[in-house]
Amino acid sequence: MSAHGSIPVLRIGSTLLASIQVELRDTIADAFQEDILQTIAKTGATGLVIDITGLEMVDSYVARVLTNTGRMATLMGTHAVVVGMQPVVAATLVRMGFRMEGVLTALNVDAGLALVSELIARRHGAGQ
Amino acid sequence: MPLQYYMEKLYLDEAEVESRRHFFEITADDLTRLAGLHSFAEKHTDDIVEDLYRLILGHPEAKKQFTEHATLVRVKQAQRDYFLGLFSGRCDLAYVQDRLRIGIAHERVGVPPKWYLGAYARYLRSIFDRIAVELPDAAQARAAYQSIEKLVAFDTALAMDTYIAAQLGALERHQAAIRELSTPIIRLYQQVLLLPLIGTIDTHRADQLMEAVLLKVVEEQAHVIIIDIAGVPLVDTKVADHLLKTTEAVRLLGAQTILSGISPIIAKTIVNLGMNISAMHTKSRLAEALELAFEIIGKRVTSIAKNHPAAAAEATEKS
Amino acid sequence: MTILSSENLILASEDDVMLARRKVRLLAETLGFDPFTVAAITTATSELCRNVCVHAVKGTARLEQIGSGGRTGIRLEVRDEGPGIADIDRVLSAGQRSVGSLGLGLSGSRRLADEFRIETIVGRGTVVTVVKWKRPA
Repeated sequence: MSAHGSIPVLRIGSTLLASIQVELRDTIADAFQEDILQTIAKTGATGLVIDITGLEMVDSYVARVLTNTGRMATLMGTHAVVVGMQPVVAATLVRMGFRMEGVLTALNVDAGLALVSELIARRHGAGQ
Repeated sequence: MPLQYYMEKLYLDEAEVESRRHFFEITADDLTRLAGLHSFAEKHTDDIVEDLYRLILGHPEAKKQFTEHATLVRVKQAQRDYFLGLFSGRCDLAYVQDRLRIGIAHERVGVPPKWYLGAYARYLRSIFDRIAVELPDAAQARAAYQSIEKLVAFDTALAMDTYIAAQLGALERHQAAIRELSTPIIRLYQQVLLLPLIGTIDTHRADQLMEAVLLKVVEEQAHVIIIDIAGVPLVDTKVADHLLKTTEAVRLLGAQTILSGISPIIAKTIVNLGMNISAMHTKSRLAEALELAFEIIGKRVTSIAKNHPAAAAEATEKS
Repeated sequence: MTILSSENLILASEDDVMLARRKVRLLAETLGFDPFTVAAITTATSELCRNVCVHAVKGTARLEQIGSGGRTGIRLEVRDEGPGIADIDRVLSAGQRSVGSLGLGLSGSRRLADEFRIETIVGRGTVVTVVKWKRPA
């Protein structure tokens, strides 16, 4: 387990679970992205679930960091899912005109982990 | 509704009271003159109020308001305070609040404006009869008369505003109730919601719809929401844009939207206007949307061999 | 329109941006704004205040509770003495793909606000004012 600021990153099998519980400041968001990518490189994690249930506000900067982290992880061969977005956050991002393109989403951590497992299984299935 | 509600609805603050006073031409001289008439008012309060109730109780319809003796005693006392208020020499925010309280009480017990106005006219006549006696000097009487009339008009405006605000408030509550009825999000199955849209969708309603959908999806942890637009008469670029935004917001939560009820006209509009709704699942019929929803949550609707009642009965006999 | 209360804030660091959005959130919640409106004004605050710290290095914000026609609202005026914005129309119409964070920060704030005004002079600075009204219950 590693932590940057107050964002713990847990390992569950070959999947990383990062739960963001506190209001994100820009520098912590940047450090979080760096930390996640390093951890993926180090562990070869095949899945990444970012839980943002605790975020009451996500502005364009944080949304961009989340989206980019997901896309970068995908480039590294890791299935990334953002889970638990609050209704007020989704409404605000959409109203701003921000599109979190290229990132998968799920309702909660369980659904996110299930989605990641399914994608990993499907990839293995397709490879055979 | 409490006093604060009306104060806000009527934008009544120091500045507004000042502005009203200015328009009704109530000057410091008027207020001083009225304060000077306070002892006159006190002397005549009882008979003026009694005179007013002779009018009210003499009217069969108005009389019904006061079937109980206790009520009558109470309102007469309120009426005395109200009357003396005209001669308090004040016309500030506190005065306005006093006046509003009375207006609110009238509205609450259902005293219609016609009686309020009729009663006030009687008040004025009673007051003027007595002023004519009290102040033999015509110029003085006329000045007193005018000061009273200004404040009475000021009061009347407040009373009318209160009536109107109460009616508008009721209308707003009804509209809110209708809005709520117009966003009936139904749980069709575990993790599947249905929002049947009926009627015109403007920006205001679309905003509310999106918020209601997002809250419900998270509350129910629904994986799919079907939005059926068969009951929406017109789908233009704006409506389509709202639907797209809602779809994207639902996706951000981790759920999916299926749009059903796409009529030939709507399909034509969407294509002719060049709208890109490729991000949405669309189906013409609700049944198909439901099948897709089941597929998304990993269920399937299948046909099973149907037991005809007669065949089943025969089978039982043979065994 | 009446200004019912006001507060001045300094914008020079990330901490100031955090403080500004916390103050705005607290004010909106205290005034009884619904959660969606709270999120909208808090997010717009974050965008505008960050723009100051990133593009102009420092500036100030003025946070006001306002009333008009029976409505209650929050007005935020963010002021900087930075480089100004040369092509304001392009920046305001820009989506998230525009270079840097200025684009979506400004255009997003405009979409989130009920009222939006921007005055900018190249080489002198920028003043952005947003208003968000409390929705009727």
